[in-house]
Amino acid sequence: MLAETKKRIAVVCLSLLLGVSAGMAKEAVAAKHAAQSATLPLTTKSPEARQLAEKAVSLYVDYVRQTDAIDLLHKALKLDPQFAMGHELLAQISLDSAEQVSEQKKAFELRSHASSSERTLIEWYQDASDHKLISAITKMNDLLSQYPQDKRVVWTTTWWLMTQAQYERALAVYAKSGINDSPGLLNNMAYNLADLRRYDEAFDFMDQYVKAIPGDPNPQDSYAEILRLAGQFDKAIEHYQAALAIDPKYYSSQFGIADTYSLMGDQARARKEYEIGFRKFPLAELQQILWQTREATTYVREGDYKGANQAFRAIAIYSHARHISEVESDTYRQMAMYQRNPKVALTLLDKADAALAEGKNSTQTTIQQEAAQIQRVRVELAIRTGQMDAAHSGVEALSKMADSSGDKLIEQAYEGSAGAVLMSELKYEEAVAHLEGDTDNPLSLQLLKEAYQKTGNKAAAKRTSDTLAGMNDPTIEQAMVVPAFRKCYQDPACSGSLKNASVDHMHLL
Amino acid sequence: MAIIADKGSETSNVKAGDLTNLLNGKTKTWPDGKAVKVVLRDPSSPDMELVLRRVLNMTADQARALIQSHSGQFVVAESDEAVLRMVSSTHGAIGIVDLYSLTKDVNVVKIDGKLPFDSGYLLKGN
Repeated sequence: MLAETKKRIAVVCLSLLLGVSAGMAKEAVAAKHAAQSATLPLTTKSPEARQLAEKAVSLYVDYVRQTDAIDLLHKALKLDPQFAMGHELLAQISLDSAEQVSEQKKAFELRSHASSSERTLIEWYQDASDHKLISAITKMNDLLSQYPQDKRVVWTTTWWLMTQAQYERALAVYAKSGINDSPGLLNNMAYNLADLRRYDEAFDFMDQYVKAIPGDPNPQDSYAEILRLAGQFDKAIEHYQAALAIDPKYYSSQFGIADTYSLMGDQARARKEYEIGFRKFPLAELQQILWQTREATTYVREGDYKGANQAFRAIAIYSHARHISEVESDTYRQMAMYQRNPKVALTLLDKADAALAEGKNSTQTTIQQEAAQIQRVRVELAIRTGQMDAAHSGVEALSKMADSSGDKLIEQAYEGSAGAVLMSELKYEEAVAHLEGDTDNPLSLQLLKEAYQKTGNKAAAKRTSDTLAGMNDPTIEQAMVVPAFRKCYQDPACSGSLKNASVDHMHLL
Repeated sequence: MAIIADKGSETSNVKAGDLTNLLNGKTKTWPDGKAVKVVLRDPSSPDMELVLRRVLNMTADQARALIQSHSGQFVVAESDEAVLRMVSSTHGAIGIVDLYSLTKDVNVVKIDGKLPFDSGYLLKGN
C-alpha cells in the first residue's frame, strides 16, 4: 500500500515538472512506436555484403556459430571493403587478436561511410576500448533509445553490459524490449542470471532456448555450462553429450566436458578429454590457447607444479612465437601465482611485464588490464614475503591505473590488492570496504569471508562462504582457492584455522 | 551512481560538503541565483540508500521526511529515465542516477574533482 502511494506521488511530480499534456503524450506515443519498429541499418554499397553480414549476426547471436559468422563477414568485407559496420562486427567476434585490433581501427576510420546510428555504435565500442566509459555509456543509451526493440541492438547492449558486470541492468534492458523470440537473447539472459547466481531462473531461460532451436547443439552446450556453474556436474556432462550427439563437431562441448571433469577433481580424465578435443577438432588460435591453459590448470589443481610449469611454459613460448603478447604475458602471470619460490615468481612476473611491453596484436585496453593483473600479483607476492613497502607501492600504482583508466577489471585489481594489504595489517573494517569491490575473485572472496568473521558480521561471512564454495569457473584463481576451501566448508568438524588453509597455503607459497 | 545536471549548468564539480548541503535542502540557490531542484529516486531503493548513507548519513525514512518538508525543492521520480528527463529539461536541477543510465542530455558533475569511474569517487558501488 505504501509503495503504491509513493508511486502515485512520483508520477504526479513528474507530470508537473515536465508539463506533459495529452497532445504531447500522443506525439510521444507516435515517436515511441516509430522507435519500436526501427532496426539498426547496415550501410554498404553491396546488397550481397549486407545479406552476408545479417546472416553472420544471426549465426553468431542465435546459434553461436562464431567461425561460420567470421567466414561470412570476411566474404562481406571482400565485396565492400568500406563497410564500416562489417568491420565493427568482425572486430567484436573475431577469434584472432590481431584482427580484432585492426578491424576496430578500420571500423572507426570508415565510420563516415555509415549511417549516424551505426557511427554511434562504432564510437561506443571505440570509447569502451579507449576506456572512455562515460562516453561509451551515453552512446550505448543513445543507440538503445533509437532502437529499443531491435534484436541486434538489444543483444549488443545486453552483451556489453554483461562484460561490465551490469547483470541486473542487462536483464532490465531485455525485459523492456519486449522481445521474446530471440534465441540469442534467451541464451544471453540465462548467463546474466547465472552470473547473479539465480540459477533456477537461468534454467527456465535455458528450457525456452532449447525449445526455440531444438535441433541446435548450442542450447544444450549453454545449458551444460550453466549447470556446471551451479555445481550440477553430472547433469552438465549429460547436456554436453547431448550437444555432441546433435553435432559431433561441436567442439566447445568436448572441452566443456573436460572443464567439468577438472572442476569435479578428476584431472586425469579432464586431460584425456582435452586431448581428445585437440586431436579431433581444428581450432582457432585463441580457442586452442584458452583450452591449453585450462589443461595446464589441471596440474595446479592436483598440486603437480612441475607439470603445470611445463604446460604453461609451452603456451608462453607458442604465444611469443605467434606474437600474441597479452596471452604470453598472462601465461607468465598465471605461472607466477602458484610458484612456491618467491624469486621464481618474481622472475616470471618480469617476463610477463616484458611480454606486455612488446604489446603485439593487443588492444590498449587488454594491455592495461593485464598490467593491472600483473601488478596485483606483485602486491600479493610482496605481502607473502613481508615486503610491505613494495606492497603499498604496488597498491598506489594500481590506484593510479584505476583512476586514469576507469576500467572495471583494473578497479577490481586495485580493490583486491588494497584489501589484501589491509588484511595483512589486520585492518579488517577497512579491508572489507575494498574487498567488497572484488567479489568475482576467489582470492578476494576468501579474504572477505575472513574479514567479516573478524569484524563479527557472521551473516555476511556465511553468505560469502556459500558464494565461494559455489564458484565453479575453471580459472587458476578458482583452482588455487575453491577446492581446498570447499573440502573444509563441507566438513563441520573442520576447525577455523583449517577453514583458512588455502589462504595460508597461498601466503606460504 | 552519478550526479547529473542540465546541459546549461555551469556546475561541473561539487565538493562533498557542498553536495551534502544540496541534498539536505540547506542550499536553495545556485551561485547564479537559479533555484536548486533535487531529483531523486525512491529513498528506499538500494542505489539511493547508498547515496543517503554516504552523503547524508540518513535512513530512507529520514530522507522521506526531509523530502516532505522541502516539497518545492525535491522531486521523487519513479525511474532513472524520469530523473534524466526532469533534470535535462529543468534549469537548476540536479539529480542522481545509476551511471549506466547516463545519456547525452545531461552533464555529469564531478565530486571533489572525481568522475564516477575514478578510484576514491564518493558514490562508487551499487
